[in-house]
Amino acid sequence: MTPESDTVADRIDTARAEIAPTTALGIFGFGAAITFTLLLLQEPLAHESLHNFRHAAGIVCH
Amino acid sequence: MFFTYFKRGLLAGGVAGLAYGLFMAAVANPLVGYLEHAQHGHSHAPDGGSVIAESTTALVSVGGGLLWALFLGGCFGIVLYFLEPALPGRGAAKGFVLAASGFLTISVTPWLVLPPFAPGAEQALATSTRFALYAGLVALGGLIAASSVLAYNRIEPRGRALAVVAGATPVVAAVVVLSLVSPTLVSHPELSADLVAAYRAMVVLSQGSIWLLIAATFGWLQRRTPFESTTTEPTQPTP
Repeated sequence: MTPESDTVADRIDTARAEIAPTTALGIFGFGAAITFTLLLLQEPLAHESLHNFRHAAGIVCH
Repeated sequence: MFFTYFKRGLLAGGVAGLAYGLFMAAVANPLVGYLEHAQHGHSHAPDGGSVIAESTTALVSVGGGLLWALFLGGCFGIVLYFLEPALPGRGAAKGFVLAASGFLTISVTPWLVLPPFAPGAEQALATSTRFALYAGLVALGGLIAASSVLAYNRIEPRGRALAVVAGATPVVAAVVVLSLVSPTLVSHPELSADLVAAYRAMVVLSQGSIWLLIAATFGWLQRRTPFESTTTEPTQPTP
């Protein structure tokens, strides 16, 4: 099978067979934690120390 | 198969993160620090002076930059795994299309309404309103990117040049309309317009470079292992 000949549905089926639900949850949870810390966290200490990053990355934060 | 893409995405994100962390340390940190001191009274702390040492802020921001690129790289790998068959182009070109879509979705579209701002900016909207607006704009950006790809794929059999025009139309239309319609929500009363423009260009270019670097590194890693199957491997005899 060449890389060009499968479809998005095939990929989803393959992933279903390959990834355990707990692994998927783990990956998702980790991603959510990063998003929250970098973009949303308003707690003053964390907020203040990420301040330069948020300005430089153009993140709508404060 | 999925994990190959995910790992490759994280690796690509790591490479981009090292570059971006270096950029944060060498360019963005000193610049933000300077802009902060150049203007009077800008600080997030309650009574003027900052509660956290500047070196800590600088270090955490570099780490934040690294983590940000890692995060984008991981997302890139996952999304590329699922959407690769539907993306236009072949080989590494698909990765660049996805990187451009990601940049359009989470950065460019929101920035058309809420542009990147330097320290000391005055905001017209409250933080929570801006978050809601940002989330809406990300969704809009995703729709624009998806319609662009769909338009390209539909027109592609009738000629590639025509398809490129069709694919570019939603993006150009959105950029023009959004930048005309959106009111000025952020202003910098103490900074010159030139400086603000330069600052914004720096932000846009640095974020764009992260995506470009992720796609390029991912493509390079993919070329190093050309003979992989896209389906799950049939049970391989392991020595």
